[in-house]
Amino acid sequence: MTGPLERVLGAFLADTAAPRYGYDLMKAARLPSGTLYPLLARLEKQRLVESAWDTPEEQGQRPRRYYRLTGEGSRVARLELAEASARRRRAPARAGRPARESPG
Amino acid sequence: MRAERPLLRIGEYLVGRACQQLPRRIREQRYQEWVAELPVILHDPQIGPAPRRVVRMLGYAADTVRGAALAHARAHARWTAVYCLLLVAALAVVVWSIVVIVGAPGDLLNYVRLAWGVLLAAFPLSMLMRSAWRVSRLIANGATCVGVAVNIWVAAQSPADWVNYVGAALLFLLLLATLIFGWVRSQETRTRQARR
Repeated sequence: MTGPLERVLGAFLADTAAPRYGYDLMKAARLPSGTLYPLLARLEKQRLVESAWDTPEEQGQRPRRYYRLTGEGSRVARLELAEASARRRRAPARAGRPARESPG
Repeated sequence: MRAERPLLRIGEYLVGRACQQLPRRIREQRYQEWVAELPVILHDPQIGPAPRRVVRMLGYAADTVRGAALAHARAHARWTAVYCLLLVAALAVVVWSIVVIVGAPGDLLNYVRLAWGVLLAAFPLSMLMRSAWRVSRLIANGATCVGVAVNIWVAAQSPADWVNYVGAALLFLLLLATLIFGWVRSQETRTRQARR
């Protein structure tokens, strides 16, 4: 799992019920639009994320598109983040392990 | 905010450029989505003072161009490579023509050859920049016409050399094929529009 994907999934999981706009996700995941939107498109294609258009509250405003994790997306995101976190925990431990002594 | 409308227009223009690179079926949807975020960024109090909000909004719009260009390049990697090769070849023709012109400034043929090289370079550039198909086709036809003229000119100067006749004939056939393809395509588009 790439860093940007991890951050986007983390942003979604911070509040799974809340619909997230592209700009909100950009801020939460600290990703530029050119990285975020292709990622969202990919997640949507994999049916991990679903999107819908909201109706603007004020007249003259444009409708905005929001994204939400699907049930499957929520499950996969939790699993992936847990695995990534476990990998990170293992990595320094392996690096800190003393090198085996060579025989003889 | 002062000059809000023109600033939003710049953002919308950039987003429009980005969407030009997306597949036609999702273009309009993406444009609406990305453009809707522009005023939100421009009025986001968390960003800070107005100049910073303007920079953020334009940065957002400019980065959609980068993202769309990358996605497009990834999806059409083979064609991008072909156009890059064509561009390099055309630039070589341009450089060679300039060198020849410097050596013999009086020969008009070299200037025509230079014009051919420039048109040859313009075609892959227009394709890489995703210009309108009409523009690219015009450039391609122009380049082919000038290519035919160059080959006929050279053939007239040295009638014994058959390579020039073959070159002119090939380019002429290419021009004919492009024109027929363009006509068929425009007929298809017209039929599709009539059906709607």
